[in-house]
Amino acid sequence: MSVREIESQSTQDTVPEDAIATDSLRRRRLLLDPRPATRMSADVLDPMDRATARFWVAFVILGGLVAIWGVTWLYQMIWGIGVTGLNRPVMWALYIVNFVYFIGIGHAGTFISAALRALKIEWRRPISRAAEMLTVFALTTAAMFPLVHLGRTWKFYWLMPYPNQRQLWPSYHSPLLWDLTAILTYLSCSVLFAYLSLFPDLAMARDRTRGWRHVLYKTLALGWRGTEREWATHKAALNVFTYAIIPVMFSVHTIVSWDFAMAIQPGWHSTVFGPYFVIGALFSGVGAVIMVLALLRKTMRFGYFLRDEHFEGMALFLLLLSMAWAYFYFNDYLVPWYGQGPAEKAIQELLSHGWAAPLWFLMLFSNILLPWATLWSRRIRRSAGALFFISIFVQIGMYIERYLIVPTTLGRNELPFDWGIYVPHLPESLITLGAFALVGFLYVLISRIIPLIPVWEVLEGQMLHGLRRIGKAVVQTRAEPEE
Amino acid sequence: MTLAEHKWTMVVDLDKCTGCGACVVACHAENNVPIVSEEQTIQGRAMHWMRIERYWEGSYPEIKARFIPLMCQQCERAPCEPVCPVYATLHSEREHLNLQVYNRCVGTRYCQNNDPYKVRFFNFFDPIFDEPLTQQLNPDVTVRSAGVMEKCTFCVQRIRRAEERARLEERPLADGEVLPACVQTCPPGALVFGDLNDEASAVSQLLSGNARQFKLLEHLGTEPSVVYLKGGTSYVST
Amino acid sequence: MAKISRRDFIKMGAAGLLATVLTGCQNPRRWVTLEPYVIPPEEQLAGVATWYASTCRQCPAGCGIIVRVMNGRALKIEGNPKHPLNKGKLCARGQAGLQVLYNPDRLPGPVQQTERGSGRFQPISWEEGLNTLYDRLRQAGSGTAIWTGSTTSGHLLDLFERFAAATGAPSPLVFDLYSELNGLAALENADRAFFGQNRLPTYNLEQADVILSFGADFLGPWLSQVRYGMAFGAFRSQSLGKRGYLVQLEPRMSITGAKADWWLPISPGTEALVAQALARIIADGPLGPAEWATKANTLASEIDVSSVAAASGIPVTELEQLAHIFAAATRPLAIPGNALAAQDGQGTAIAAVQALNAIAGADGLALSPDSPATSLLKPQVSPFGDVQALIERMQAGDVQVLLIHGANPVYDLPESARVVDALAHVPFVVSFGPIADETGVQADLVLPDRTYLESWGYDVTSPGFDLPAVGSQQPVVTPVFDAHSTADVLLTVTRGIPTAAAALPWSDEVAFLKEIIPQLGPGAAGGLDTDVLWSRFLQHGGWWPATAPPPAPHTPVLSQSVQAEAPQFQGDEQEYPYFLHLYMSDLLSDGRGADQPWLQGSPDPMTTVAWQTWVEIHPQTAQKLGVKDGDVVHITSPAGEIEAPVYIYPAIRPNTIAVPVGQGHTDYGRYARKRGSNPMDLVGTTSEGLAWATTRVKITPTGKKIAQAGFENKAGVDEGFINEAFPG
Repeated sequence: MSVREIESQSTQDTVPEDAIATDSLRRRRLLLDPRPATRMSADVLDPMDRATARFWVAFVILGGLVAIWGVTWLYQMIWGIGVTGLNRPVMWALYIVNFVYFIGIGHAGTFISAALRALKIEWRRPISRAAEMLTVFALTTAAMFPLVHLGRTWKFYWLMPYPNQRQLWPSYHSPLLWDLTAILTYLSCSVLFAYLSLFPDLAMARDRTRGWRHVLYKTLALGWRGTEREWATHKAALNVFTYAIIPVMFSVHTIVSWDFAMAIQPGWHSTVFGPYFVIGALFSGVGAVIMVLALLRKTMRFGYFLRDEHFEGMALFLLLLSMAWAYFYFNDYLVPWYGQGPAEKAIQELLSHGWAAPLWFLMLFSNILLPWATLWSRRIRRSAGALFFISIFVQIGMYIERYLIVPTTLGRNELPFDWGIYVPHLPESLITLGAFALVGFLYVLISRIIPLIPVWEVLEGQMLHGLRRIGKAVVQTRAEPEE
Repeated sequence: MTLAEHKWTMVVDLDKCTGCGACVVACHAENNVPIVSEEQTIQGRAMHWMRIERYWEGSYPEIKARFIPLMCQQCERAPCEPVCPVYATLHSEREHLNLQVYNRCVGTRYCQNNDPYKVRFFNFFDPIFDEPLTQQLNPDVTVRSAGVMEKCTFCVQRIRRAEERARLEERPLADGEVLPACVQTCPPGALVFGDLNDEASAVSQLLSGNARQFKLLEHLGTEPSVVYLKGGTSYVST
Repeated sequence: MAKISRRDFIKMGAAGLLATVLTGCQNPRRWVTLEPYVIPPEEQLAGVATWYASTCRQCPAGCGIIVRVMNGRALKIEGNPKHPLNKGKLCARGQAGLQVLYNPDRLPGPVQQTERGSGRFQPISWEEGLNTLYDRLRQAGSGTAIWTGSTTSGHLLDLFERFAAATGAPSPLVFDLYSELNGLAALENADRAFFGQNRLPTYNLEQADVILSFGADFLGPWLSQVRYGMAFGAFRSQSLGKRGYLVQLEPRMSITGAKADWWLPISPGTEALVAQALARIIADGPLGPAEWATKANTLASEIDVSSVAAASGIPVTELEQLAHIFAAATRPLAIPGNALAAQDGQGTAIAAVQALNAIAGADGLALSPDSPATSLLKPQVSPFGDVQALIERMQAGDVQVLLIHGANPVYDLPESARVVDALAHVPFVVSFGPIADETGVQADLVLPDRTYLESWGYDVTSPGFDLPAVGSQQPVVTPVFDAHSTADVLLTVTRGIPTAAAALPWSDEVAFLKEIIPQLGPGAAGGLDTDVLWSRFLQHGGWWPATAPPPAPHTPVLSQSVQAEAPQFQGDEQEYPYFLHLYMSDLLSDGRGADQPWLQGSPDPMTTVAWQTWVEIHPQTAQKLGVKDGDVVHITSPAGEIEAPVYIYPAIRPNTIAVPVGQGHTDYGRYARKRGSNPMDLVGTTSEGLAWATTRVKITPTGKKIAQAGFENKAGVDEGFINEAFPG
């Protein structure tokens, strides 16, 4: 008999309707559909060992693109930034767009692991690790871009505050230094947070594997035994991180937005950039997480863990974030439009009537029209395939949004004699491709090393949720763990 | 002996500027500013620390052209300064100049974004000076390499040399002793340079009570050290 | 066919030719002594610059310059504050002179070429080069021809003259594209008609209150850019807050037009008609003071004002307004421009404009001061007829040796003049250019001259203003390459030719200069020792009297009305619907600046384009033709054809197109080569001269497109919110 059958037998007097209702509930809700821990562990660990052809193809292709990034970057460092399409006045372009974009994506992980955890939204349980991994990889990739962007990359360490013989320090007047601080903080906190929540699963993996894996997990697990004390400390630490990392998450993209808002460039100098960028980050991040989860469900056969309910939850957030984003964008557009300052007007005309118009309309379609037209539908929200498709457009729309803010706006300023247009050249295009490939590549690698579903969280959730018969009704129950 | 404070100011008389371009070439010669190739010019990377912006007004046949010489405005409240993360661009309080430290610049290019006058130029490649053109390079001015931002300095090397000479000779600087290359060569005398702190200087005399004066993009509050004098049109009775 | 014996050669060579030159204020030495740099030359301190005075030769104006030299390197050129012409100011081309000195494509030494036009030069020694030249000159006898340019130093021209006279060869030709496009020959000729003297006119802008400029781009490379720029500054700063009133009449807005208070786009070739119409209106009025009206009556032709209005495109009301403005002015000035000079060789067009000056009393008009010493030769530009005569002589085989210095006729003259063809009939062609230009590539022997910053010489300032001046020239650095002064070359090789040797007895050019300089002018020598005079001449950058001499009387000899007709244009109106307006690029001038990257890479003042040629077309015309910025079009005239990308230019007549001169080199170094087009290829040759101002063309789009290397953002400038940024 199946586990489900055994467990269903244990409830009292199930009549067929109840059984059907219970069954369908169990099918829909992961937390009401427990499996033995061993089975879940196996479900999570087994795919890691399977190095299929598909894995190797992905490895080689993505790895190759990353290598191309490396070579192109070297080429750029040898010959100079001139190999790109940058010019005067457009001195910031794809590298900064990528920087902002990847940091943006990284927000979703924190949102899911920390914010949803704080809000006690339980369906976040199976997806938190996959999202955190995306955060870590996106941030790592993003952190490369200021280096790629520098005219003299080999002097990057001058941006670090270290004591030196010439007594020169970096300037904290500059938003770029705030960026550096914020991103390093965010990256280190995210890594620690992810590591922290990994302990029980690392221990689980340690106990169930042999060979190099066993050695690896043993080293990383730091001797986790799962005692009461360890769990309590673990929980307390997670709480600290949860509540601490949420303001970091908000501040990081706010600070990134200040790279633009603090400048006096028309089109950038807007007080609404802080929240606008944070919402945009969450929006693109949630979309990216949806895409990652859809891929994982397919390739790692995580159908048990990643159910339609998770996609529906994410989709609801996607819709809400799309509305919030539209609100902020409308504000950001309306205010300068009303003022009709000549430079701002020129920028807006470029967006609505100029060469940038197709991009602008595509952005509005991808970020507003498409989500609003589709995500009201429950069926679409529960369809991973549809959501994947919508999320691609969200990514495109959000990428275009950053592209319109950075190189497009820089092309117009207060002195029309000095306007310019940016056209991406091959080096920055290859590097951009390499960046996307890097995230994928790291993901492909990590999928073979770290269990991507936090089994302990799912187990905890399943323990806390249940179905109970009260009278004729079948009631979902939920317990709170002891503090 | 402390060095005196000078408020170096340049006055540009738009009525007199003929757009001849002597200042543009003089600046290249004095400051080792590279000339970029045709392809790079097409890409928008030409480097002219001093440039002449030519605008059109009206339409044929009542069309007018306007020449506006534009160089670093040496703003008192320069927006390019706070955004540099490594202090490669800073303010000299004594001379009221915006200094660019080439060997400190790491090339984030934020300063150019925040410069509303777009007077900053980036070395996208290593500059090429075919031998023996290198013989002409001014040893008083660093030759910059790829990845470094550069801009007009009011010929600070000339200011420094003159100050040193005056210090050695134990006398104050005389008005007109320091002339940036552009000012020195301008045939119609559209460019005038001097110390605004000195009431007797040519710039002070020129500006005092002059109704034609204005500053570029004044609404941004950058407080430039360059003052423009409005051009005009004459009218005659017929 | 005796060669110069080696002993003789060394004897004469050592005397002047093989010396490298050191600079000096006190005692210029022509001899090399090797000393370690631990004992530096007397006036040199490491890290401390020395300034040497000389004269600029980027154009014939002859501004005084001072050159900053440190550790033997020339670093910066500035205007000589003492020189009365430019008083410390200098134009863009003058500033770029260092790139003439240090140009990477300068010939490292003498070369010869076995196949003309191949560009395959074989380096030879100076001994060999000199011997070859000597042989050829001796054989040629009177069959030598000499072609010089308007910037050739007076002393070299003098030596060439003496050599030609001694050998029975014709006088050297002085002709280059610069002088042609400036109309120098015609302007001097016209002045003979107007003043009875053959000099370039000067216009005292700073004294005028109203200026009517008939196509005279005096703020551009015309006559004396620096001096006129200074005068314009003064014109705009006149006392009592008077700003002066400038009217510019031209089909295409030049720099001067950009600064005008009233820009009148007149149809090409109608300048003289408009001038006559104005005189007529003044006479008919009568307008202005009584004596003006009287003179106007004498000088104004019987011209129909409304027909002039129709021809020029200026409504009658505006012509009347102009006449009123001129007549109401106190010190008006009319300036005939270079296009007038090209329209007819007789100068009647110029005279028509000068008639206005005669009417108004010509107060603002002046003559170039008399040359301070008649023995100091100054280049007098040859009329085009002389050029044609030389070409015909070459065609006929009358020229055995052609010497070319300071001119590039193969590039300057259009194909219709058939120079290359003529050269083919000359057995031996020698070029003295420091860089292999188009003419050098057609030469058999190139003996590179030193560039002007490494040369001796003098320059009689022409046009001269108030003070008559002679600028000095001295080498500011040790010569960079193995070039030798052409004057020294001439003096050396003529030593073996008896007739010439007698006429040119000097050992080297410095000896020659020292001999003639004391004849500078009254009071110049003033009892001074020659060496002291020579030193002062070099140190100050020239000689000029302390006070201005009384102005030369310049009563106009115009006594009757001038009847100037509209010129004949080359090309039928139906087939060639557009007028061609050629102008010298402000930076490249006639093309000689194309080898200097500072000039190539700097933006053109009106279009901001660098490195390229373009054709300026009115927006409506462009729309009619269906072309946009960057579209390449064929421009065809009866004489030839070029291709150029379009630049839509709002300040040009719709039926006129304008192309700058300066690009289209096939040689002349890496910065100049294979870049743009030479619009002189469109110009036909008539009996009157080169039809560069009287050509019609047609335009055909090619469908090709190039990216325009403009410094401006054209879309932005067209957006037009300039007034927000610039309240001025």
